Amino acid sequence: MGRAVKIAMAGEGGQGVQTIAQILTDAADFEGKEALYIPNFGVEQRGGVTIAFVQIGDEKIGAPKFKTADIVIALSGRAVRRTRMYAGPQTLFFYDSGIEGIEHDLPTNARQVLPIPALETANKTLNPRVFNILILGAVIGASRVVTIDKAQQAIEKRLAYKFEQNPELRELNFKALQAGIDLVAGMGVAI
Amino acid sequence: MSETSAKPVEGERRAFMTGNEAVCWAALAAGAEIMYGYPITPQNEIMHYWTRNVPKFGKRFLQTEDELSAGFTTVGGVLAGRRAFTATAGPGNVLMQEPLAMAEAMRIPTVVIIQQRGGPSTATVIYSQQEVTLTCFGGNGEGLRIVYSTSSHQELFDYTIKAFNTAWKYRFPTFVLADGYQAKMRESLTIYDPASRGISMVPTEPFLGRPGKIGEGRTAAHLRNTYNIEEELNAVLEKDIADYERYAPEIAEYDSSAPEDCDLLVVTHGVVFRSARMAVRDLTSQGKKIGYFRPITLRPFPEEQFRQAAARARQILVAESAYGQLLKIVQQNLYGSTVPIRTMLKPGVGITPEEITEECSAILAGKEA
Repeated sequence: MGRAVKIAMAGEGGQGVQTIAQILTDAADFEGKEALYIPNFGVEQRGGVTIAFVQIGDEKIGAPKFKTADIVIALSGRAVRRTRMYAGPQTLFFYDSGIEGIEHDLPTNARQVLPIPALETANKTLNPRVFNILILGAVIGASRVVTIDKAQQAIEKRLAYKFEQNPELRELNFKALQAGIDLVAGMGVAI
Repeated sequence: MSETSAKPVEGERRAFMTGNEAVCWAALAAGAEIMYGYPITPQNEIMHYWTRNVPKFGKRFLQTEDELSAGFTTVGGVLAGRRAFTATAGPGNVLMQEPLAMAEAMRIPTVVIIQQRGGPSTATVIYSQQEVTLTCFGGNGEGLRIVYSTSSHQELFDYTIKAFNTAWKYRFPTFVLADGYQAKMRESLTIYDPASRGISMVPTEPFLGRPGKIGEGRTAAHLRNTYNIEEELNAVLEKDIADYERYAPEIAEYDSSAPEDCDLLVVTHGVVFRSARMAVRDLTSQGKKIGYFRPITLRPFPEEQFRQAAARARQILVAESAYGQLLKIVQQNLYGSTVPIRTMLKPGVGITPEEITEECSAILAGKEA
């Protein structure tokens, strides 16, 4: 990996975007890689679009924000509209296929614009609670910036207190991670 | 207060954390005893992490009713001989200038962490470099302060430790000037026990209530921020200014890299330096003759080194997330020089490496045309 991989993840507050950004960069840190994660934050406490800017590479990361992402994942209509500016000729732009009415808002300059049935898969085969972990799996599947092993370790670190109360959640989260990786593998795309 | 001898950081270890967390660990590692503070984004987590660690390491914390009070209590803590600090941002930094001017007047070694946010007024809680003038020159007075502008978590950690030593060695209020990006982002750094790197902490001592009898083994502690006649004030200021100017060359720090025949010298500070360094690297690999100069201390400014770097450059570009606050300092320090200064002034918003590369390319293309 020469230059750092740049990832922008966006969704509605509460969808768990910042949590998976933390897990992803923790995993990168466990790998011994360099990572930089910065959330966008404003005065609103609820009800805004939330974006996580993540960079992972082998050397110290440069500036905290960037102009063009390698991977964008947008999880709501508003998130699509907020993040289309980060798309460029190298960008894989993922959005949840359940979002309606955004046909004209999708970027036209991206390398590929890819609908993924993340919410549908989470709802039907897993549990809506692990939607964000499935998205994390999709990001890892497309970027391969961390191994599944370290991703699981990072999930464990972040959610240990929940797993203690309910050990079944561990299995559910790990399944969601794999489901996300499989979704992207099925599409045959990677940076 | 539960006293404990446990060292907050043993030896050294790699960490992956936010800048606010890094500041807190640095203050703990430096042996800071008490933090005074009032909440304001984006520095809140410094207080949060500090209070979380208070019981573990026998530290103290006082939440005050506002930033005026946080500043004055920090002064009070230092007067009592404590390694004390506070942290603030934006409108809080404005309010804190009155107590910090008092610290300046009485040469009180306060340490203040500033996480710049957008301005003026409440503006944004996010980011800017608009508190440079305020932090460097402060309230009524001459700006006899020391200001370190950091650009990474490692520097936040290193310079927070250093700030305590600089303050207590030279007895001028000392600031670590960062910003909301540095406060909130996560990246790797090495945290360490200063002793493990041969750094010894300058001992603290009370300014008031010292043992012994006045005239017999000690002089009176005569700390003034009020004077009756002009000449009296002037004499004190002249001495303080002379001290400041004498110490300035040994306090001033910078980072610079530029070719001998430098077509463009990019001048930035703080987190924008990260973008500048990337842009310079990028353009150098394309064969451009470009370099950078970055003051680490904004007060005192590394004047001599900057003038030397500027003298070798055909043009200068000043880039900052403010409308000319670094630029003013640069211009002042270049007085008499004819090197053209180009600017990239973006108040209240971040500057990416791509934007600096683009700007530099345009300037260099203009020169070549």
